[in-house]
Amino acid sequence: MRAIYLIARREYISYVATWGFWLSLLSVPVFMVLGAAIPALVQSSQPMRYYVMIDETGGNLDDVIQAGLERERRTQVRAALEAMAPVAGAERRDRALAAFDEDPAGLSRLPEALEILGLEEGAGTFTAQFGRHQRVEAPGRTLADLRPYLAGDASVQTPEGPRSLFAAVFIAPGEGAGAPPRLVYYSTNVTDTALASASRRALGEHLRQQALMGRGLSVQEIAALTAIEPELRNLNPLAEDGEAEITMADRAPFFISLFLAFILWTAVFSVANMLLTSLIEEKGGKIIELLLSTARFHEILIGKLTGVAAVSFTLFLVWGLVGAAASFVTAQFAAALDPELAQLIAALVDPGLLLAALGYFIVGYLMFGAIFLALGSLCETLQEAQTLMTPIILVLMAPMMILVFALQAMDSVFIQAASWVPLWTPFIMMARLPSEPPVWELLGTTALMLATMAAVVWGAAAVFRQGALGQADADSVKRMFSRKKG
Amino acid sequence: MSEYALEAEGLSKSFRGVPAVRDVSFKAPSGGITGFLGPNGAGKTTTLRMSLGVIAPDAGHVRLFGGPPTMARLDRVGFLPEERGVYRKMTAEAVITLFARLKGVPAATARQRALAYLERFGLGESAHKKIKELSKGMAQKVQIIAAIAHEPDFIILDEPFSGLDPVNQQVLEQMIREQADQGRTVLFSTHVMEHAERLCDRIVLMARGRKVFDGKVDEALAVVPRQVTIGIASESDAAPLLAPFGAVERVADDADGAAVWVVRLHPGSDAQGLLKACVDAGLRLTRFEPLKPHLHDAFVRLVSDPADAGDIQAVQPQPVEG
Repeated sequence: MRAIYLIARREYISYVATWGFWLSLLSVPVFMVLGAAIPALVQSSQPMRYYVMIDETGGNLDDVIQAGLERERRTQVRAALEAMAPVAGAERRDRALAAFDEDPAGLSRLPEALEILGLEEGAGTFTAQFGRHQRVEAPGRTLADLRPYLAGDASVQTPEGPRSLFAAVFIAPGEGAGAPPRLVYYSTNVTDTALASASRRALGEHLRQQALMGRGLSVQEIAALTAIEPELRNLNPLAEDGEAEITMADRAPFFISLFLAFILWTAVFSVANMLLTSLIEEKGGKIIELLLSTARFHEILIGKLTGVAAVSFTLFLVWGLVGAAASFVTAQFAAALDPELAQLIAALVDPGLLLAALGYFIVGYLMFGAIFLALGSLCETLQEAQTLMTPIILVLMAPMMILVFALQAMDSVFIQAASWVPLWTPFIMMARLPSEPPVWELLGTTALMLATMAAVVWGAAAVFRQGALGQADADSVKRMFSRKKG
Repeated sequence: MSEYALEAEGLSKSFRGVPAVRDVSFKAPSGGITGFLGPNGAGKTTTLRMSLGVIAPDAGHVRLFGGPPTMARLDRVGFLPEERGVYRKMTAEAVITLFARLKGVPAATARQRALAYLERFGLGESAHKKIKELSKGMAQKVQIIAAIAHEPDFIILDEPFSGLDPVNQQVLEQMIREQADQGRTVLFSTHVMEHAERLCDRIVLMARGRKVFDGKVDEALAVVPRQVTIGIASESDAAPLLAPFGAVERVADDADGAAVWVVRLHPGSDAQGLLKACVDAGLRLTRFEPLKPHLHDAFVRLVSDPADAGDIQAVQPQPVEG
C-alpha cells in the first residue's frame, strides 16, 4: 500500500504541477462563461443592417411588409418585457408594459419601458436580440442601380453615416393572372436570411388576410380564425390518473445522461492519454527499473492508475463545485424566468445519474487506462504508441458515433446489442439509463463489464510486466498478429 | 543476521527460447564486497534482476538475508540498475526522498537524509534544482544516493561506473568502500576489471550465461601463471639456473645488450627465491621485474572463448617494485 500511495502521489503531484492541469481546470468555467456570453456578445456586436424594399406592383406592399416586420418585432419585444416580471417584479413590469404600449404600432416607447425596468444601460443588447435591420431610402429602382451598393462599392446615407446595403427586397407582380406577388431577395450575405423570412411571413399574412376579406370575412373574424390552435397535451401514460403532463423534468434525464456519457468518454480518453505519455516518459527516462526495485509491477500499475484518477477527480470536483454554484445561481434566475430551464438544471444534479456516471467512469477508466498503460509499456516513443493506439482509439470512438445517431432511438435493437460490448457499456448504458432498461440487461451488462475489466487489468499487468523491462515491445505485437495470420 | 546477504541457487532464465542465464549459483557474504563480472551479454543484469525478484527465474531460487525475497527484505536492499534515470522534472531532494520513502523511511527522515547525502556528495547547493538542470554526472550521483539513502544492509549496483568520469568513478569507489566499512554488503556488476580488482573481496565471473568462477580475488589471480622478467648482463647461460623455478624463455636483448629472460614461475616457486638464486650465482642483473597478475588475465584463462575476453576491459599489467 505504501508503494501504491507514493507512486500515486508522485503521479498526482507531477500533473497538478503542470500548466496543462491548470488550463484544464480553468477551461470548463471559462467555457461556461464564454458559452453564456458569446451569443449576447455576437448579437450586440452585430452591425446595423440597412436594406431597401422596392414595390414593383404599385400596391404599396412595401409599406405593408414593413408594417408587418415592425409588428412582429414589437410582439417579440413585448413578450420579452413581459418575461422580465420575475426579475423586476410584476408592478414594475406592468408599468413598463403600459409605457411601451403608449405606441401601439412601434418601438418608440421602448427606452422608457426599459428605464422603468432598470435596464436602460442594456437597451442596446436588449433590442439587438430582436434583429438589427433598418430600412433606408432606395438609391435606385433596379438591380443594376443597386448592385454597387450591395457589393460595397457605393454607400447609402444612414443615421450612422454612409454605409453599404445589406439587402434589397423586390416585390414583383405575380406571374399570370391571379397569381400572388413574388418576393425577390438580393444580398451578398448568404447566411443571415432572417429579413427574407420575416418579409415572406409579413407578405403572406397580408395576402391571406386580403383573400379572406375578399370572401367576405371581417378583420376580426380573420383574427379569430387564425388564432385557432389545437391544444396538445403530452401526458405520461404510467401516471395513475393519466393526467401527469410530460415536462422538461421528464425529458431532462435523457439529455443529461447523454451529456454525461459524452463527458465520461472525454474524461476516460484524456486521462488514459495522460497515463500513456507518463509511462513512455518513464520508459524513455529509464526510471521503470529503479521503480521496480522498490515496488512490484502491480503496485506501479495501480499506483499510476490511482494517481491519474485522482487528477481527474480533482478536475471533476472543481468543475462540479463551479457547476453547482453556477446551477444554483442560474436556477434562482431561471426558476422564475424559464421553469423548463430550471428543471433541466435540477436534473443535472440528480444523485442517481451522477452516481452511475461515477461508477461507469471508474470501470471505463480502469479498462482503457490499463490497456493504454500496457500498450505504453511496449513502446519507447509516442510515435510507436500512436501506431498501437489506433485500433484502441477506434474502439473507443465507436460508442460516441453510435450515441450521436441513437438520440432519437435509444430503444433500437442495435443500441441494445451495443450495450453488451463491455468496452462500450460504460458509455452506452450511461446514455440508456433514463429509458429504464430491463434489470436483467442492466445486471448482465454490468457483470460482463466488470469481468472484462478484471481480465483487462490482469492482462495489462502481464503485458506491462513484459514490456516495462524491454522483454516485449511494439514488434512483439506485430509478430503476434503476423503469426496468427500465418 | 544471516551469513549471506544473497544466495542464488541454480538460477536459469531464457527469453524467447534463448538462454540468458544457465544454472547460476553464488553467494554474497554479509559485510563483504562481491564483484559480479563478465562481458556484456554474460547474463549479469538478468541474474541481478532475478535476485531482486524483478523477473522470475525459469528454474532455481534466491534467498535474501536467509529467506525468500519478500518486499520487507527488499526494503533492506538498495539497487542501482544499469539502465537508470530519474524524474527529470523533480528536484534532487524530492527524488531521493521519494525513493527513500518507497523503501519505508519516514518522510521527515527521508528529507533530512536526502539533504545530508547531497551535501556529502558535493551537491548541497543543487538540492532544490530539478534533475534536468543538473549535469549528467550530478544526476548520476543523485541516482546513486537514491539507491542508498534508506541505508540498506545490502547494496546492489549494476554497472555503477559506466558513464562516470574518472573523478566520479573515484568518488564512487570511495563510497563503496565506506559502505562496506560500515558493515554493509555490496554486490556490484562490472565489466571493468580494474574496479573489481581494487574493491572486491570475492568475485563471481560470468560468461555466456554461466558462472565460470566464484571465489576470492587471490584465488582467481592464482590461475594466472606468475612471471618474472630478468635482464642479465653476464656472459654465462642463465637457463640452467632459472629452469628449476619455472618455464624459461629468452626473449631478446635490451638496448644495453643485456639478455632478457622471462620466467613463468611454477606453483610453489616465488620471485624472492629466484632473486636470491640469481644474486647467489653472482649474475649481474640489469632488471628484475615480477609482473603482478590481473583479473583480466585470470578471466582470459577462465573463459576459453576469446570473444568473451574481448569485451572485458583489461588493466594493463604494471611492473611491481621489488
